[in-house]
Amino acid sequence: MLAVKDLSKSFSSASGDVKALDQVNLVVETGQFASIIGKSGSGKSTLLSLLGALDIPTSGSIEVDGVDIAKLSAGQQTAYRANKIGFVFQHYNLIPNLTALENVMLALEFGGLPAKKRKARAEQLLTDVGLDADQQLRKPARLSGGQQQRVSIARALANHPAIVLADEPTGNLDSETGKKIFDLLHRLSRSEKTTIIAVTHDMDIAGKTDKTFKLKDGKVTA
Amino acid sequence: MNVVSRGIKNAFRSPLRSGAIILMLAISIGLILSMLVARTSVNAKIDEVKATAGTSITITPAGVFGFAGGGDPLTSDQLATIKPTAHITSTSATLNDQLSTTDTNLVSSLDLGSFGARQQRFENGSSNSSQSDRLATRPAPTPRTTVTGTTNPNSVSTNGGDLNITSGSTIDGNSSSLVALVGSDLATKNNLTVGSTFTAYGSTVTVSGIFNTANKFQDSGVIMPLTTVQNLTSQAGAVNSVTATVDSSDNVDSTVAALTTALGSKADITSQAKQAANSVASLESISNLALAGVIGATIAGAVIVLLAMIMIVRERRREIGVIKAIGGTNGKVIGQFVTEAMTLTVIGAIVGLTLGVLVSGPMTTSLVSSSQNSTSTTSRPQGGPAEIFRGGVQSVRTNITQVSSSITPTIFATSIGITLLIAAVGSAVPAWFIARIRPAEVLRAE
Ligand SMILES: Nc1ncnc2c1ncn2[C@@H]1O[C@H](COP(=O)(O)OP(=O)(O)OP(=O)(O)O)[C@@H](O)[C@H]1O
Ligand SMILES: [Mg+2]
Repeated sequence: MLAVKDLSKSFSSASGDVKALDQVNLVVETGQFASIIGKSGSGKSTLLSLLGALDIPTSGSIEVDGVDIAKLSAGQQTAYRANKIGFVFQHYNLIPNLTALENVMLALEFGGLPAKKRKARAEQLLTDVGLDADQQLRKPARLSGGQQQRVSIARALANHPAIVLADEPTGNLDSETGKKIFDLLHRLSRSEKTTIIAVTHDMDIAGKTDKTFKLKDGKVTA
Repeated sequence: MNVVSRGIKNAFRSPLRSGAIILMLAISIGLILSMLVARTSVNAKIDEVKATAGTSITITPAGVFGFAGGGDPLTSDQLATIKPTAHITSTSATLNDQLSTTDTNLVSSLDLGSFGARQQRFENGSSNSSQSDRLATRPAPTPRTTVTGTTNPNSVSTNGGDLNITSGSTIDGNSSSLVALVGSDLATKNNLTVGSTFTAYGSTVTVSGIFNTANKFQDSGVIMPLTTVQNLTSQAGAVNSVTATVDSSDNVDSTVAALTTALGSKADITSQAKQAANSVASLESISNLALAGVIGATIAGAVIVLLAMIMIVRERRREIGVIKAIGGTNGKVIGQFVTEAMTLTVIGAIVGLTLGVLVSGPMTTSLVSSSQNSTSTTSRPQGGPAEIFRGGVQSVRTNITQVSSSITPTIFATSIGITLLIAAVGSAVPAWFIARIRPAEVLRAE
């Protein structure tokens, strides 16, 4: 279970403090598929970065299975990101000089899987998201956007994370491909009992999720 | 794939840029190696010159230069001052004179030549006589025979060792007998052999031995015991050159100072060590130059790696953020970049060291010879027999340009050490940059 209590995040900028998140409270049960919607600048990415321990909140707590990740040390946060969290980004963010297979193996290395087992596991993951053997050996520049996003989903799921955080995973894809990617995420979360929290602008997609949070000026409104 | 293999792989991500970095590094590493070689070779030469310079000090009367100049010879009082001076282990004293045709039955084995004739042009002519008078009254100039009265015949040797006696036996420099060593050229000219006699200053002198120094001037001379020459020329106790040997090269300077105080302005004191020090001064400046070169090239190399790595880190900022976001530790990311820097540096080092090995020999030679050209004009001319520094310094002059460069394991190890230092310095600052990159940045649009 993921429980966020009174979470706030401020950034200091030249024109004073910006309150990106303001007293956010929300709960997502294990295995649920939750979506976050809201206008640009409402704080969606900021919320995801705090949930994924990429940044430290100004105040409030984030409890994942009873542990407050905001209070972890830097080393523990890195380990948390490696083992408990999977990230899917709008811009895929694959390492350009590594092949699809190597990108997935990199996550497995950080997750602590023994070197011998990484290749087989990465091949399995990539096959599961629908990449054939030839595509698996290509570098990201030689894959389509949809294929790259599949690789990034495989990478996010590599270490059996408790939570997958996706920031507009379909934002750069046409609606048909976007739907396929979403279905893929949905299907995998069901089979692995992974909690998924996805930011989206697509109301169709948001409507199909278990739970939807609407952000407005850093506050949850629904 | 692991940190190391990713680092090596990344080093070749942009072949053109990597090539440029490697080339610049290779040049500075090549420079480091050749400068180290130059410095080591030159230092070895300096030590060698200083070691062969010996520990002798030469004391000559002020104002006398060979047979030229004026002034009084050193007196027995002054000699008595020199002998007990601290650190002086032995002394040898010399009195030079020249035998003219009226003094001896010997015929000089030297041709007068235009040089000799010019040296004698002032003699015998009265200053107010006319040109034709002078030519008429003046006897034709004749070459003279040099007489060296010495307490140590070996001091006449030109190679720093013992005098080379080709027949007969040497003489006792401390006796006052009418015996002589005759130079090989003079002996041939006058048909002298061991046991022959000749007249000098009205006395009959017996030939004890024939010597050969391979120096035409010396080999045309006569060596006799000091006291004999003093008696024959009626200069009791007079000496025009004293060579003192000091117990250790460390004490040469202090002994020169002590003698200068004791003898005052009456004598000129020179030491081989001082002469050697002067002649290696230019080598010392090359050595310093080479050290500056090593330091400069090291800094340049470090700056090249530093700037290259900063550029690379900035360029891959997002990628570093992604690696951190998916659970890569700072240590792993830094390790990967340090490996990348190391790979570039090691390749640069291999190319650079190869370059250095090829270039260091010619570079050392040209450094040394160009500096010798500029200093040779300042070295003073060589004069008469008292002026010939026996052995040491003369041989120094001829082979000071023969600095041999060689690459020792120490130089190689030092170069590699410096290279690693460059890589370490060049990676440290980028590592700090890496540690400061916040993974949250990956969620921001590019
Ligand atoms: N590092 C930062 N420094 C300063 N201000 C920031 C920083 N990160 C985010 N903000 C501000 O916080 C607010 C929320 O930004 P955030 O990126 O979370 O919005 P978003 O909902 O993801 O928008 P979009 O839909 O456009 O991605 C914005 O006003 C933004 O300018
Ligand atoms: Mg956003």
